[in-house]
Amino acid sequence: MKFLSRLRAVVGIAGAQIRTQRLRSLLAVVGICLAVLSMTLLTSLGMGVVQTGQEKFDASGRDLWVTGGPVKLAPETGGFQNSLDNSHRIADEIMARDDVSTAYALGFQTVYVSPNTSEFETIIGVGAPSGGQSVTVTEGSQYTPGDPHYNGGSYDGPMTHEVIISPEAAERFDVGVNDTLYIGSTLASARQHEFRITGISPTYSNFLGSSNVVLHLSELQEVSGTTGTDTASLVTVRLRDGANPDTVAADLESTYPTLDVRTNQEQLEATLRQQAVLIAAGVALVALSIITGIALTLNLVLSLIYQQRREFAALRAQGLSVWTLVGVVGTQAFTYGLLGGLLASGLTYPLADVLNVAIQHLVGFENVVVVDQRVVLGGFAIALVIGLASALAGSWSLARQPVTDLLDG
Amino acid sequence: MVSTESDTADPILTCDGVTRTFTRGRSGWLSSPQDAQTVVAVDDVTATINTGDVVGLAGPSGSGKSTLLHLLAALDTPTDGRVILDGTDTTTLSESQRAKLRLDEVGIVFQHFHLLPSLSARANVALPLVQRGVPTSTRRAKANDLLDAVGLADRASHKPAELSGGEQQRVAIARALVTDPSLLVADEPTGELDSETGRQILDLLTNVADDRAVIIASHDEAVLDRADSVLRLHDGRLQSESTPSMHREIPHES
Repeated sequence: MKFLSRLRAVVGIAGAQIRTQRLRSLLAVVGICLAVLSMTLLTSLGMGVVQTGQEKFDASGRDLWVTGGPVKLAPETGGFQNSLDNSHRIADEIMARDDVSTAYALGFQTVYVSPNTSEFETIIGVGAPSGGQSVTVTEGSQYTPGDPHYNGGSYDGPMTHEVIISPEAAERFDVGVNDTLYIGSTLASARQHEFRITGISPTYSNFLGSSNVVLHLSELQEVSGTTGTDTASLVTVRLRDGANPDTVAADLESTYPTLDVRTNQEQLEATLRQQAVLIAAGVALVALSIITGIALTLNLVLSLIYQQRREFAALRAQGLSVWTLVGVVGTQAFTYGLLGGLLASGLTYPLADVLNVAIQHLVGFENVVVVDQRVVLGGFAIALVIGLASALAGSWSLARQPVTDLLDG
Repeated sequence: MVSTESDTADPILTCDGVTRTFTRGRSGWLSSPQDAQTVVAVDDVTATINTGDVVGLAGPSGSGKSTLLHLLAALDTPTDGRVILDGTDTTTLSESQRAKLRLDEVGIVFQHFHLLPSLSARANVALPLVQRGVPTSTRRAKANDLLDAVGLADRASHKPAELSGGEQQRVAIARALVTDPSLLVADEPTGELDSETGRQILDLLTNVADDRAVIIASHDEAVLDRADSVLRLHDGRLQSESTPSMHREIPHES
């Protein structure tokens, strides 16, 4: 009973201290809130990137990804660096296997695009051997199936001059189905190659997160001057039902020792590994935010103790135990952590929505920030840890203050 | 009744050959043991203070006044000798035991009041009762009674910043009395106050001495004049010219 009475009083005094020191209390709560928000939002972003990436790979309908070496993102295009030569031949050889349903070579290349011959913009050109299952058209139609210009490697077949464009590209150039676009890897090349828009498809913009134009691979190679090496970015492979991706991947790697063959999961991991610096920076940012939150709260608590050191010493002289005063200071710091954690938890969801809108506007991906309840709970726990750490450090500081020295001072 | 030897019937406080030394000059890593210097702050003080006594403690700065006050109030323990407070030898107690003894037996009033600025006058007065686990309603009632007794019934809800210096010192006195101590110690209680307010505070302090002993440390002779007797310190020792000799009883002016 006495303990409860004392506890209530200690909490009451801590509450009075918090109310009296409104600005300090607000700063402490906001500091902790920001530290927790940086953790919850960056973690949600990281988890969302992995989840979105996994979904995109799963939704691509491919089982294996064959590249000419380590996968490297090309930041300037948002695509992959081209690294696979003889792509048509390799795709045909892979497709000839019994356990493979389809194998297509895909190329990604920055191209100049314009609805006229004067004002060009650079976007991603995707080289796909045909429309078919690769591209989902929402308006208009697929382009001519097959890859007639390739013509068995001679590149002397007719160019279809057909292109499918993303909705973003349609809006950007203010064009629609049956309009024309000039496309090439150089301005000179672009002015010479006029393409008719057969359809509009969000397939690759969903995957790449930016506007793009989709051509036959051989025609992309033609306008970018890579027909000699038959360069593509990768070969995507869909397996027949029952085929084991890991087994087929191992078999393909032994057949093509210079190529990298990855499952969806491995491809995602490889892509993420390329972002190791970015991920490390994110983790460091979270760690620094937490340390800053602790430092800020601790600084406030310690300055509060220092400011009232003689009052606390007087109370200890009067017979109050140091633990009672530690209770007051500790409750105060812990309350900061609690309030900061609650505020951050409440703000995580709306701020994630704001971030999603911004990310969609900037790079085109939807719902990249995925808030998991466990992350919010983790953030709340960190807020409590910040409060607790500050409480312990503050209490230690209080306990080691010599009462008589302070009273003399 | 104050005497310099333990010969009275009802002593609340006895100090017997109390000496307190401090070691100075060994605070830095680069300091050698030879740098250490022993300073005798209180030197072989013997005195007895009885219930009802109002004792002045005088002496110039550095004379050991505050150190002796801390020893008498069980805030510190002597290097040599004994301090017996209400029958308990404080030299045998741990820090927490001394804190408990202070809570039960000692009230302390400071020159700078030392009230918690975030709490009301009533809450400040009631603070020592928190340590005892006294229920809220009882704490409030007792604090209200004491604030009434010191003439601040209508200021109970005010915070220290809203009170004058004299009012804050009254609150501090009420806080010191809330545990009903047998010894009230006041260190320069009027040092921050004007003379009229100081006189009122002294009235208050001397009026509560009926059932307890009151020790008032001060430089101010006007304050010391209000004491029944005065212990004068110089260089840590009780001075014969300022107080009765070591074995002579100090007159009790009541």
